[in-house]
Amino acid sequence: MKKSPLQAYKQAPWRIQLQWIGLFLLGLVLVASITGVYLSISAQAAATGRKIQFIENDIDEISNEIAVLTTNLASDRSTENMLSRAKNLGFKLMNTNEAKYLEIPGYDPDTDLELAPPRVNIIAESPIIKSDYKSSIWDWFVKQFWYISDNTISSEGDHAP
Amino acid sequence: MKSQPYIRYVIITIIFLLFGLAIIVQLVRINYTTYAKELLAKSEDYLGVNKTIYPARGTIYDRSGNILATNQIGYELGIDLKDVNDPESIAFATANLLEDLDYVDIFEIANTEQHDVENRYYTISSYVSEGTILELERLEEAYALRRGETKSTKPNLDGLVWTPMQQRSYPEGTLAANVLGFYNYFSRKTAQGVYGIEEAYNRLLTGKPKTIYVPNDPYLVEELPEINPGASLVLTIDREIQKMLEDTLAEAIDWSGAEGGTIIVADPETGEILGMASTPFFDPNAYWEYEETFPGITPYNRAVGSTYEPGSVFKIITMAAALDSGVVTPETTYVDATGVYWVSNTWPIYNWDGGAWGEQTMTGCMQYSLNVCLAHVAIDLLEEDLFYDYVQAFGFGRSTGIDLASEANYPLRLPDNNQWVVMDLATNSFGQGIAVTPIQMVAAVSAVANEGKMMLPHVVRSVVDQGQQYNVNTQVVNTPISAETSETLTQMLTYTLEEEASDALVEGYSVAGKTGTGDIPTEFGYTSELTNASFVGWGPSDDPKFVVYVWIEKPTISKWGSVVAAPVFHDVVEQLVVLMKIPPDDIRMGLTNE
Repeated sequence: MKKSPLQAYKQAPWRIQLQWIGLFLLGLVLVASITGVYLSISAQAAATGRKIQFIENDIDEISNEIAVLTTNLASDRSTENMLSRAKNLGFKLMNTNEAKYLEIPGYDPDTDLELAPPRVNIIAESPIIKSDYKSSIWDWFVKQFWYISDNTISSEGDHAP
Repeated sequence: MKSQPYIRYVIITIIFLLFGLAIIVQLVRINYTTYAKELLAKSEDYLGVNKTIYPARGTIYDRSGNILATNQIGYELGIDLKDVNDPESIAFATANLLEDLDYVDIFEIANTEQHDVENRYYTISSYVSEGTILELERLEEAYALRRGETKSTKPNLDGLVWTPMQQRSYPEGTLAANVLGFYNYFSRKTAQGVYGIEEAYNRLLTGKPKTIYVPNDPYLVEELPEINPGASLVLTIDREIQKMLEDTLAEAIDWSGAEGGTIIVADPETGEILGMASTPFFDPNAYWEYEETFPGITPYNRAVGSTYEPGSVFKIITMAAALDSGVVTPETTYVDATGVYWVSNTWPIYNWDGGAWGEQTMTGCMQYSLNVCLAHVAIDLLEEDLFYDYVQAFGFGRSTGIDLASEANYPLRLPDNNQWVVMDLATNSFGQGIAVTPIQMVAAVSAVANEGKMMLPHVVRSVVDQGQQYNVNTQVVNTPISAETSETLTQMLTYTLEEEASDALVEGYSVAGKTGTGDIPTEFGYTSELTNASFVGWGPSDDPKFVVYVWIEKPTISKWGSVVAAPVFHDVVEQLVVLMKIPPDDIRMGLTNE
């Protein structure tokens, strides 16, 4: 009786074992790959978390340094210090009769101090873009789903006796 | 029949299964024991901490952008109980370095872990200086060396932690302290602004603290929410003017032997306070010494927090009412034949010198500050209804609404009050029997200097919040008199100063003004020899840019406002015109004509 090579291949016990071993190894590789990716992502997440913690600490330290420098600068520029420095440099306070007045066109000695841009109406200035244009396909799908569901419920409610 | 090896395999399998099952049972059992619950509760304490983030308190600037109040670094000192293993050393070190800490108290806290595990962090001092922290660091290093030498675990400061925090700083020291107030930052939870700007704008300056959970697990770490710092304020105060006022006031108090004093400089057109000096001076950087500087009922800022009988400076209000209502003109005459004005034929009113001044115009009455004349104007010409209508229109009897904390106000005694008598009308006309604050006088007189429009006095010019600046609008509170009356009265009071050759006059500049000498009431009447010496003036007369109010309390060198307060006004204005860049009248007129 003549048997086909395929049948012979199927029936050979070592080939069946090889198939199982192959399948097992394939599964193992798959699990190892997923585990590897998971570990890599986890490690990256942890490292990023630590970075965030360090950066937050840095922000605190920098804020504190800014506060110290601001205070030091303000102290150096305080009235007492400036007067004493001016005196040391040979300046003296001016009397009224020593002043000479000149008209400088456009000069206003009392202009408002500008530390920040003036307050603006944020609502009026913000561009009006519909939320649909900014949502993802998934967001849009979910929104539509809930919209249809809500409409169905309300229309059923309308027919209630 | 099963083979021997097979049975062995089964037995081994059963043993492993039972072992595994036992592990699972034990795991479940442990999770439901009381100890497990305690352990879980304790572990939560290590997972993260609830942290309250306090926004940086807003900065306060003068009108030119010079910093008057900002923040610097101090340290919060605390004990983290989980790391403490030598409470004695912690208590010893902290009690030695910080005067306000007690050894026993600190030891009790540091030793708490044995019987209380719920709280593991205690704050023992909210603000410690950098110097003290450096001392602690040096001590820690020394302890580490000693431990190495003795191979011991003690002495040890483990568990004592210090965290940098921002604390309030006033780089100008005492300058403008009476306007700024102070921030009592020692207890962070109860810290708040006290007096002045710090109290009036406390909520804006503080911002909104936020409590968040900060996990120790890096997987759970999220970006901290953005917390906006407190709003910053730009004041109307000019640092240079303020400095000049405080120096001049200190000299005046010293020279006159007075108990105290205040000087206010305001812009009558806007109501902006350009400078406000008040004694006693105080360094808010050491705010805990407040009670030593302001014993008893001493007001923090006399300019807004103290009422007094102003005396003859109030005649400006009476004359403004008389001119505006049309009952007199500057040329209207009054004959002071006896030097006495009899109120209801019962109570006499005398002039400041007790003499009779004959026939006087209204300008003369103001020039010589005649009480009998002003009593006549109030009682016979204005009468009570009109007089008090004007007094109230000028804002007396109610707070000015200035944006400073602790503004005082003394209610007016009006004719519908049972205690009111006609004598009140007479004395009120020349500023006795009526109590006002200096800021009320400034607000009222500003109306005379500003075409009849009384502006809301204010100290904050702009608010800077979340990166945007909001400029405070000036506000007209009332228009008690017309522009014509304002001009007439200004001319009268310019003329009277010049005629008197007053000590208040400043060469090259025309100023209008009035002296005041207010008697001080005691429980036995006006028996005190001491007085309140005042001067209020504004200029340049044709286009007023400033109002200056001087109040010297209980001077001993002389009791008269013309002797004590007028020269102070002169000194102030002489420097003020330079700082405000106001040219002398002739140059200014020349420049205007060009």
